[in-house]
Order: sequence, then structure tokens, then C-alpha cells
Amino acid sequence: MSDPTVLILASLAEGDKHGYAIMEDIQAFAGIRLGPGTLYGAISRLEQRGWIRAVKSESRRQPYRITAEGSLELKKQLALFGQVVRTGIRRMKEA
Amino acid sequence: MRTLIRWAARLYPKAWRERYGAEFDALLDDISPSLGDLCDVLGNVLRVRVTTPVYPLFASVDGSSVTLRLPAVLSLTAHALMILLMLVAATSYVTPMPSHLAIAPLPPPVPEPPPQVTDARVFPNALTLYSSLPLKQASGEIFPLYVDDGVGINFFAIPDIGAVYRQGNVERRVWPGQALERFIVRRVLPEFPRDTNLLDAVSVFVEYVIREDGSVKVVRTSGPASFSTAARMAVEQWVYRPLGYEDRRCEVLSRVEVRFDGKFLEAEKR
Repeated sequence: MSDPTVLILASLAEGDKHGYAIMEDIQAFAGIRLGPGTLYGAISRLEQRGWIRAVKSESRRQPYRITAEGSLELKKQLALFGQVVRTGIRRMKEA
Repeated sequence: MRTLIRWAARLYPKAWRERYGAEFDALLDDISPSLGDLCDVLGNVLRVRVTTPVYPLFASVDGSSVTLRLPAVLSLTAHALMILLMLVAATSYVTPMPSHLAIAPLPPPVPEPPPQVTDARVFPNALTLYSSLPLKQASGEIFPLYVDDGVGINFFAIPDIGAVYRQGNVERRVWPGQALERFIVRRVLPEFPRDTNLLDAVSVFVEYVIREDGSVKVVRTSGPASFSTAARMAVEQWVYRPLGYEDRRCEVLSRVEVRFDGKFLEAEKR
């Protein structure tokens, strides 16, 4: 769940954000603070995979947008997490 | 810390810096970076460095991976060393001083020069050999003295003794030098100017003021330049205990005669 790529995709699912906004959003909804190195490491990987893309901006703060492939990947990951969560909850009830 | 992280970010490959450098810099302006962020950036630098040939994003450099191998290895080694040094510096690791190291002994104290006294032959009628005070007689020991040949000082009778001169709020009382002897703390005797061929005696009259703090300021001198300069330089180094009159601090004006007599100067000192 703490995979930064998934967290970034989940953040961008709400709308375009630049690095600092992504960092703040993840901190707010997941309680995880990504370091600047981790954040940009994940952003570069997501961009290479075509899951996010940079949006034109005049500012130094470059916003990013999730692509269709990125949305698909996020759904897959969330479905997997959902399955893990459901299984875990069910097994805890049985125990 | 922000500067340190910016410096660490320069370890990213050139292609990475060109692509993300500006926005990474903007991000650093927005956050309050910590030591953890520095480690985070350094760790990511290492990761990017190691995986650089794999990513097509950074494959903009001409040449095959084989030709890049040696420079890449050298670069990685250099950067790994730099990162290691930064980590050591960041954790403030300081080598403790070994406890067996002894502190170097202090050099032996320099013996004080023997007190210098005036030449008694210059003022044969003077009762006191004015010296570079304080002269403290050590019990049972002969005190070594150094006589500067041909130089004498004399506290002569002052005609306006007891007079009071005022300069603004400052009150100056005229006291004879002889009476001030019990207040003297430090005296420097004049040196005979060595660049002269004086065979006779020359007197220099020095008028000086003892300030409220006991330091001395020469007001005026008379006599040939080289001799009056020697006398002035010496008298201005004199120090007295602070003087007062009727429980009030005051300045004191006094005068002294410094005589240089070439007859008593040893021939080899000329």
C-alpha cells in the first residue's frame, strides 16, 4: 500500500498536481510523507511507463496528469489491494 | 540542509537534472527539508545512477553501454565516495581524541629583564637612582641592576607647585614628581639615542599629565628632536595609581628633566 507509484497515481486521480501538491495530498489521505528523492524517483518511473505525463506550465512547479494507462493500472492495483483487504478482514473475523 | 540537498541533487545524471532539476528545486523551496530528506535524495541518486543504462529516458548519451562502462564505473565510485563522506558529515561523526594523548607542556616562563636604573653620574647630587620600578629587594639576594649609561632623570623643583589649572570640567593639580614617586606603578627609562655623536650633556624637559586612570600623556617637551622623542616615548609609558584630591579623582601635572650625557656613554655603544 505504501508503494509511492500507487500513492501518486491515487493522488493524480483527483486531478492535476505538481510535486509539492502530490506530496501534501499523500500526506493528507495516506499519512505518508514521501521524501523529495522518493517522490521524483517515482514520478520519473511513472512517466517512463507512460502512466502519467507532464502538463504544460509556465511555472517552475511542473504539474502532472494521470494518463488512461495510468488510470487502468491504478484500478488494477486498487482491485488487488481491495482483494487483499477483504481477505485480511475475513481471516481476522475467522480467527 | 536545503543547500546540502541541492548539492546532493547535482549527483543525479545530467539527463535527469535537465528533465527534473528545475521542478525539484521548486519543491525544495516549498518544503522544510530534513536530514531524512537528504538521505532520501542520496539513496535515490544511487538508485538512478545504478539503473541509468536501463532507462531509455537517460539513453540520450551517444555510445553503447560497453563504451560507457569505464566512465560509469569511475563515476559511480567517485559518487559513492562522496555520498559516504556526506553521510559521515551528516551524522556528525567526529573521531574522538585518544585519551592517551598528553597536552604539550608550556614553554618555560621568560625571566623578567633586570630593572634598569639611571646613571648616577649624570645627576651626581640626586639622592635616588630612578629605576624601572617597582624595585623589590629579594631577601638575601643581590638584585641585578642594569644601568643605561649616560641617561639620568631628575624631578626638579617646580615653581608653581600646588597650582590648579582647569580645562573645562577637568581639574589639573601641579604636583612635584618626587612626591608622586609613591604612586608609581610602572616606569620606563629613556634610552640613549644611539644615532647621535653627543659628547656633552643635553637636557630635555618633559611636562606630563597623569590622567584620572593613572596613564600618562606628555604635554610638551624641549630639547633636540631625537632626545626629546626618546624622553617622550619613555615617559608616556609610565603608569601611576589613580590620583585624587579631597576624595575626588583629579588629573596631575608634573615635570621631569631627562639628561643625556655623552661623556658617560661607553665607546662601544656609540
